[in-house]
Amino acid sequence: MSVYIFMRIFERKPAQYDGWIRIFTRGKLDVAHEYLVSRLKKGDLVLDIGCGTGALSLRAAKKGARVKAIDINPAALEVARSRADRENLSHLVEWLGMSAVELDKEKTSAFDAVMSSLCFSELNQDELMFTLSETARILKSGGLLLVCDEIRPQKLVLRTLNGLLRGILKIVVLMFTGLTTKAIVDLPGKIESVGLAVEYISVNKMGNFMQIVARKPF
Amino acid sequence: MDRLVYIIFNIIGTLFRFLPFPHRTGLIKIGSPREESPVFLTGNYYLTVLRVKNALQGLDVYLLVANSHGINVWCAAKGGHFTDYAVLSAIKTSGIERLVKHRKVILPQLAAAGIRADFVKKKSGWRVLWGPVYTKDISLYIEKNFKKSSEMRRVQFPFSARLEMAVAWAFPVSAVAAFLAILFWRDEWISLVMSVWGSALLVFLTFPLFLPLLQTEGTRSGFRTSCFSRLFYPLILYFCVFVGLLLYCVLSEHLDGSYLLPWGVVLLVLVLLLTLDIKGSTPLLKSETHEEKRYKVILEKEKCKGVGFCEDVCPQNCFIMEKTEKKISFPGLDRCVRCGACIVQCPFDALFFQDKAGSKIPPENIRKYKLNLAGKRTVKIF
Repeated sequence: MSVYIFMRIFERKPAQYDGWIRIFTRGKLDVAHEYLVSRLKKGDLVLDIGCGTGALSLRAAKKGARVKAIDINPAALEVARSRADRENLSHLVEWLGMSAVELDKEKTSAFDAVMSSLCFSELNQDELMFTLSETARILKSGGLLLVCDEIRPQKLVLRTLNGLLRGILKIVVLMFTGLTTKAIVDLPGKIESVGLAVEYISVNKMGNFMQIVARKPF
Repeated sequence: MDRLVYIIFNIIGTLFRFLPFPHRTGLIKIGSPREESPVFLTGNYYLTVLRVKNALQGLDVYLLVANSHGINVWCAAKGGHFTDYAVLSAIKTSGIERLVKHRKVILPQLAAAGIRADFVKKKSGWRVLWGPVYTKDISLYIEKNFKKSSEMRRVQFPFSARLEMAVAWAFPVSAVAAFLAILFWRDEWISLVMSVWGSALLVFLTFPLFLPLLQTEGTRSGFRTSCFSRLFYPLILYFCVFVGLLLYCVLSEHLDGSYLLPWGVVLLVLVLLLTLDIKGSTPLLKSETHEEKRYKVILEKEKCKGVGFCEDVCPQNCFIMEKTEKKISFPGLDRCVRCGACIVQCPFDALFFQDKAGSKIPPENIRKYKLNLAGKRTVKIF
């Protein structure tokens, strides 16, 4: 289902965001996060772009990674901070009010991994390409880009079906929040175009949700 | 041909004025801009971009369209949809930095309620200039070497804007009314649609007559103000509408209770709907439904260092710079629409919201959450 667009509604109440997403995606987002985090090693320095309420960052921290988590929503960051305190992970995660377009301030070859969950679909084309090329720069050689996000299905049938369903949901979400998200077109191609090598792709049955792992060549 | 397309888009945009219509974000070149050409930036509400482009016709400038989620500049800035990050993103990802030599960007003044000029400067090195409120003043603004007169700063509610509001209100409401009437009251659907349009036009076009009476906060007690806006204002309007109905009945010779009663009720509902949040439907008064109406902007004069950012961004010209003292004074509190722009821009925290009981909202909260006051822009009608 194309329910990921509903996050625009849940975002308004950051404290309840993860609960709602879990119900609507029937736990699938947790599975995706678990896979992405399984690629991290203890002690890795990781950047989480668009950490939101911190679901992915905290999962990585539990694995022993040091996380720099950035988001532009101050209310979501507050939820994430208090959650990290509760789970005694504050020493591993640094929460920052920062946008993806500020990544040009980061040092070259600084991170072992860059991850992002359901954030790229909130960026426009220019922002996405900027973020990806900065990601390629700030990753260490051999470092990983780990993404799970909503994509536009490749097969025509699925694309039409998904487009119809999504269109209806989009109107509902627009009415509630005035906001929307954009399913990403050709994410692997865009990742390859900035010089990262795609290693692993997994797409769900509907063809509208992708987990992707890419590596910066040595 | 272009003119025709412009007019058609304006009409469609006005009919659906209350829905967000996003324009593509990014860089637009107008004329043949060069390295030293001015850079303008606006939100990505479709109608806004269309009108700004139209106003810039004949000039050689760059126009950056930043993401305001398809909402107009002022609403988006106040509601936290048009943010510092949107401006930063437009500057950094559009490629404008490679095209011009200078580092100055002209933003619409009303965006000052949500975008911190100092933040943009710190993060990107670009200086923000607050341009005029209305697009019609842009060419004069450039001619005057990027200086605004107080007239250019002031938000008004002229006939054209009031007509636009009436149309924007009447179209969706009449569509719903027509749909319901075709189901339940088929004979009268045309009359119903016409009465929706008629009452919307009446309310918005007569608005200036009632403005002085609605605009009494600060000087008189809040009770009398709300008594007028909640009770007498709808009653006066309803009286006018009802006289119109009676006249129509007499002229068309079916003056009887079975006709008068349902129409009397329908018109009452319409007038109540229209006046429910009349203040919020105008740019001159603060909505009764927003939390920030309980607060007043307070100036702490000792902290003022006389930079005058508040004077530059106030849409009601509430502030005056006292030349001798080099400090701001705040004689226009009664006109204040609580947009929060002055609070957001003041680098010394000399301005803040305070309610009657004396509790303050720290300026930092307004900068972070805009008028959501930490996520609590609750709708409290009564």
